[in-house]
Amino acid sequence: MLERDEKNLRLLIRGADAPFINALRRNVIAEVPCMAIDDVVIIENSSVFHDEIIAHRLGLIPLKTDLDGYNLPEECSCKSEFGCNLCRVILTLDREAKEGAITVYSGDLTSENPNIVPVSDKIPIVKLAKGQKLRLEAYARLGKGKNHAKWQPVSLCSYKYLPRININGESCDACEKCVEICPRKVLAKREGKIEVRNLLACTLCRDCVDVCPKQPPAIEVDWEKNAFIFSVESTGVLPPERIVMEAVKILNKDLEELAKQIEV
Amino acid sequence: MKVNVLKKTENELKIEVEGAGHTICNLLQKKLLEDENVELAGYDIPHPLTPVPVIYVRTKGKLKPEEALLKALGKAREINEEFGKALQKALKK
Repeated sequence: MLERDEKNLRLLIRGADAPFINALRRNVIAEVPCMAIDDVVIIENSSVFHDEIIAHRLGLIPLKTDLDGYNLPEECSCKSEFGCNLCRVILTLDREAKEGAITVYSGDLTSENPNIVPVSDKIPIVKLAKGQKLRLEAYARLGKGKNHAKWQPVSLCSYKYLPRININGESCDACEKCVEICPRKVLAKREGKIEVRNLLACTLCRDCVDVCPKQPPAIEVDWEKNAFIFSVESTGVLPPERIVMEAVKILNKDLEELAKQIEV
Repeated sequence: MKVNVLKKTENELKIEVEGAGHTICNLLQKKLLEDENVELAGYDIPHPLTPVPVIYVRTKGKLKPEEALLKALGKAREINEEFGKALQKALKK
């Protein structure tokens, strides 16, 4: 039912309706928690950037997340504004441009937990000219996408209908107009016949139907009922399958909670 | 999540759910409308900045609206669990 690699997951889902798939999509984007830098204490900053800009840039760095080892700050037992070891990770950064200009990268951040580190080491934060210094302490916390986009575990999560393309073999004379116009190269001509080469790439634009010289068109494009292609592209903070599983869990928890509330 | 009852009669129910959103309400509405005993079901978020949707259910009289709601919730959970299991199965391959 799927294709997947490290960061991407594409599912072919049959037998589910749009509201459910949409609920899943909304949960993936807004409710699945992940780590991001939330508070920054600047100890020394003589760079050209203001403290706030650096803090903002740090916040947007995706951090590899350990969901089982950490609590959401609002659910943590410590109830502290600054958090405890169970709900925040401290990252420190200390760079100085001694000889000539340097660029400070996300890889320069040192984390107290070796599992919570930036997804990529090569995200530039700021450039320092000779003699400039940057020292800071950053607090990363779990959060949800609905509060800030930096806590969104995915860069893309979407679904589309599963296309269905019918070519009427009798009226089609393989003029190839539909092959030429298709922006996604879905169709191809083989042995004097038009055939569907890459069905999943179809965007249902129906250009091929419009361009067909036959009346009625020899090609038909519609979609299958209750079948969806669901794609998730993780930022790298969590594996995509874990993100979807978390979304399922959250949806289940919410529905259960609402059922309990209504019973009362 | 907190539920406040705004209106309740034999076949009508209007509730306010604090802390829910389109995610749940849309799913619930769809499941309610699939039930043949339900005459009308809908939801509204009166203000986009407050996550307090109002869900309205009217049944044809055979079924109490709260029962219809619970049934719909049960259905939604069933689908969700089924999907979770199917996903795990598919991932193991």
